Amino acid sequence: MAWVTDAIKSSIGKKFLMACTGFLLCGFLVMHLIGNLLMYVGPDVYNNYAHTLHSQEMLIKVAEFGLLILFAIHIWLGFETNLENRESRKTRYAVKKSKIPERKIPYFLSPENYMLFTGVIVFIFLLIHLGDFTFNITMPDKLKGREPYDKAIIIMRTPLSTISYIIGVLLLGWHLSHGVTSMFQTLGLKHPKYDPMIRAIGPVFAVIIAVGFASFPIYAWLIPYDPYAAPGVEEHQEKSHSLTHSDLIAPLCSHEKTTFEPHSAWATSLNRV
Amino acid sequence: MSLLQSNVPEGPIAEKWTRHKNELKLVAPNNKRKYEILVIGTGLAGASAAASLGELGYNVKTFCYQDSARRAHSIAAQGGINAAKNYPNDGDSVWRLFYDTVKGGDYRSREANVYRLAEVSANIIDQCVAQGVPFAREYGGLLANRTFGGAQVSRTFYARGQTGQQLLLGAYSALMRQVNKGKVQNFARREMLDLVNIDGNARGVIVRNMVSGKLERYVGDAVLLCTGGYGNAYYLSTNAMGCNVTAAWRCYKRGAYYANPCYTQIHPTCIPVSGDYQSKLTLMSESLRNDGRVWVPKDVNDKRSPEQIPEADRDYYLERRYPAFGNMVPRDVASRAAKERCDEGYGVNESGRAVYLDFKRAIAEQGQKAIEAKYGNLFHMYRKITNENPYEVPMKIYPAVHYTMGGLWVDYNLQSTIPGLYVLGEANFSDHGANRLGASALMQGLADGYFVAPYTVGHHLASNKLEKVDTNNPAFEQVESEVQGRIDKFLSIKGSRSVDSFHRELGLVMWDNCGMARNAAGLHEAIEKIQGIRWEFWQNVRVTGSGHQLNMELEKAGRVADFLEFGELLARDALAREESCGGHFREEHQTPENEARRDDENFAHVAAWEYQGDDATPIRHQEELNFENVKLTQRSYK
Amino acid sequence: MKLTLHIWRQSNKETKGEFKTYELPDVSEHMSFLEMLDVLNEKLISQNEEPVAFDHDCREGICGSCSMMINGQAHGPDLKTTACQLHMRKFKDGDDVWIEPWRADAFPVLKDLVVDRSAFDRIMQAGAFVSVNTGNAPDANSTIVPKMNADLAFDAATCIGCGACVAACKNASAMLFVSAKVSQYALLPQGDPERKTRVLRMVAQMDKEGFGGCSNTNECEAACPAGISVNNIARLNREYFKATLTSRES
Repeated sequence: MAWVTDAIKSSIGKKFLMACTGFLLCGFLVMHLIGNLLMYVGPDVYNNYAHTLHSQEMLIKVAEFGLLILFAIHIWLGFETNLENRESRKTRYAVKKSKIPERKIPYFLSPENYMLFTGVIVFIFLLIHLGDFTFNITMPDKLKGREPYDKAIIIMRTPLSTISYIIGVLLLGWHLSHGVTSMFQTLGLKHPKYDPMIRAIGPVFAVIIAVGFASFPIYAWLIPYDPYAAPGVEEHQEKSHSLTHSDLIAPLCSHEKTTFEPHSAWATSLNRV
Repeated sequence: MSLLQSNVPEGPIAEKWTRHKNELKLVAPNNKRKYEILVIGTGLAGASAAASLGELGYNVKTFCYQDSARRAHSIAAQGGINAAKNYPNDGDSVWRLFYDTVKGGDYRSREANVYRLAEVSANIIDQCVAQGVPFAREYGGLLANRTFGGAQVSRTFYARGQTGQQLLLGAYSALMRQVNKGKVQNFARREMLDLVNIDGNARGVIVRNMVSGKLERYVGDAVLLCTGGYGNAYYLSTNAMGCNVTAAWRCYKRGAYYANPCYTQIHPTCIPVSGDYQSKLTLMSESLRNDGRVWVPKDVNDKRSPEQIPEADRDYYLERRYPAFGNMVPRDVASRAAKERCDEGYGVNESGRAVYLDFKRAIAEQGQKAIEAKYGNLFHMYRKITNENPYEVPMKIYPAVHYTMGGLWVDYNLQSTIPGLYVLGEANFSDHGANRLGASALMQGLADGYFVAPYTVGHHLASNKLEKVDTNNPAFEQVESEVQGRIDKFLSIKGSRSVDSFHRELGLVMWDNCGMARNAAGLHEAIEKIQGIRWEFWQNVRVTGSGHQLNMELEKAGRVADFLEFGELLARDALAREESCGGHFREEHQTPENEARRDDENFAHVAAWEYQGDDATPIRHQEELNFENVKLTQRSYK
Repeated sequence: MKLTLHIWRQSNKETKGEFKTYELPDVSEHMSFLEMLDVLNEKLISQNEEPVAFDHDCREGICGSCSMMINGQAHGPDLKTTACQLHMRKFKDGDDVWIEPWRADAFPVLKDLVVDRSAFDRIMQAGAFVSVNTGNAPDANSTIVPKMNADLAFDAATCIGCGACVAACKNASAMLFVSAKVSQYALLPQGDPERKTRVLRMVAQMDKEGFGGCSNTNECEAACPAGISVNNIARLNREYFKATLTSRES
């Protein structure tokens, strides 16, 4: 199997792995975004989705393990290739300018120059995000016993989190705008017929992901909803146990039950004025 | 009187090469690895010879002054390569290619050599295509051809305007393959500074490592000189800056005869000179004349810009003078015609030393796209240099020194007068006579390298018992100390003038007195002037830096010193050849219509010069040229 | 026009270099960039200083010798142009011009602006050839090559091996150079028999020489005087992937 290790150790092989892991991570992002978009449908739908997802323990474990591996490879390779690339030119230029004529973004702002930097920031954001939602360590008291929807609203209404989530996903978008187009090139997917599409797909995908995810903290501030007033997770579980499958896929009926009292942060702040 | 044995085999011309190959002695496969062959230069001839000899099993060492074998100046050849394939079904044949080449060379080449060249030309194309050279193709996937000067058939294969590059990279790839196999060792940034003869055989070279400055000795059983021509004696030429005559000149001084140095080709389509700082001239491929029309204004005083001059006021002088060939007359004819018009005052450009090459009609007929596909890179290059758009304004062109038909004398086997010293490609004199036709240089370089030298070098090794020698031989000691002495001398003069200033001065003398038209008075004057420049050079040149480092001034000094000796020989040869033929035009010998007048009675021979010492006049030997197959006629393209 | 030149001067591989500043009072706009350096060198020689060493040969943009960063751009500001074909009309009176050698650890500086590009030769030796000995070739027209492929192969084959791609790349990657050669042969039937081994060996050699990896920034394509497209890099990746998975060689 020397050919496998040789290939993985080669510069093209590393890039190839980078592209593949990146591609799968993009897949994860898309799934995650679609799941999150259920927030806009309503708290119960979102909660049901979250509970159903988490009830698939085996699946979650495998998925989490898979994601862990993907991230590990992607990040490790990011550092390694970066280090190697720096090694290949130890004496830097005194003056260096881009020669690309149709450059839309100035060279010093181009995402390809900051892949490691944006990668690292996104990774830090990821840790915060996991601390908030998965490991429940950033604000355990506030979130204890709350439904996923309420948790999300509470977390995203914390000003520090709002800012870090927005910055995190914007940088992620910046990272993707180069990463996705680059992925096609690295995987050798090029053809004059599809090239314009491929060139566009990176930025378009990046915008969708960045805008999509950034909309949640903004939404959290804008909706008149009090997460503290909503029932806790135990009550919800009781309720959900009694639910039939048809209830799950007909979420609108549960939607009616949620209260729209002026307890929300937005409403209170309005009241203050 | 002649000591020169051309060793042309007996028999009818079409059978000579085949017969000869049957008679050449062979080296057994397992003995080949016992031989060491030194190849100087890695252009088409050098790379192809080294690769082919390596494939046969010889141990080969190659040397080039460039930083990579791929950069030899063959790479700059643009237009194409001739081959008698007759793919277009227009009546071409080996005979016709042979005939056109002999005629194009103004009947001053050796028939048998030319026939062999035409014969192997088809194999060259096969070989190159097999190597993956991307020649131009038709939509059906077969190879495309175009016409070139001096021919009435389309036999030129091409790769856009970069044929030389593609062919050289093909030969270079074959060379790299042998390096990979360990059969060839490639030494870049090495300049051959002298030849080492032992017992009358060429057995080694002294080269300077241009990075460390150290002199290095290499021993071999044969030395192949593939070092190109001497066009840079004129300072301004289309040659690369580094092209030089040093290796060939050193061999001349060690006993090889120098043949026909006065045959220099002035290429008609180059970008005109624009200032004194100019370092080189740029060729615009002859293929442009396929679609471009050459003209000057009819009126001497017409100072209008070209697009304002109506058809009626234009003089398409090539079409007027040579209706049969029109713009496609051979290079020497086209160059002289341009000079004649400019001398009469019809020249355009600020200097009055340019004529128009116009694509208006071709663009109108074929569309800009078609013209772009054929010549895109040339138009791009022209625009870069002149800042004018040739799709809109006609190009301005003027002749410039481009190729040299003269070179070290070789026999049919490409062996010089020093046994074991072979000379290939432009460095030898053999195939083009007094004028080379377009697209024939690439053909000759590759023919010599791929298909001639591999046979004949083997014959030399098989038929001579060469003693084992090594680099400790006193001959190496002796030659190396002479080379070192010369380097030390350059560095010790510490005069006040740069090497380039001498080179420029020499170039002017050469261009004015030994250029497109020559006469006895001018040539006498040139000899005197060159001697004067040479004398001053050795008193007053300034070479900065030391000999133990990368020192480009020192490299140039060595080359210019040799050009200063060589230039004189060129003038002497031009003076001795009392006729006009091909690239050599003596004003005393012309027809009433200003066409060249040959003297077949007295000058149907090769002049080969033998070195007699620095202060002595060299001896002029003659090899009579016998034309058994081609009838000598006044060359006419009318 | 008057120019202020900042030129990298370095005596040899071992010593450290530095920038030196030179004033050049009359530069004609018709000069090529290298002719401008010739004028400077004449001046330096007259002052008994060592002239600036730089690689150059054909001065027609085809040999690939010339190699210098001009104001931070490989071969200077003109697209599809080598330094020798760059003309001074691109500069203005009073301009500062920074001239540096190619910088890449795989291209060590030998002197001033001269670098050692033999790494490229070694990559070519690893597989950039078709293994046909002289004399074995079938008739040239016995192999039909679709014009489209022949043209694409030609476009790739026009690489002049100057190293501008390496110089311009932030990673000093040689991918464009390698991809051009791999593409030429991959597009032609002649290259087919050795297609897999060629790409594997050339890439292995490229990595061994210490060039960086490709970050797909496309700077190489913009700097390339021969206009080699980055599509070739995509093709190289494809070829490498296919060869890795299906090559029978170990």
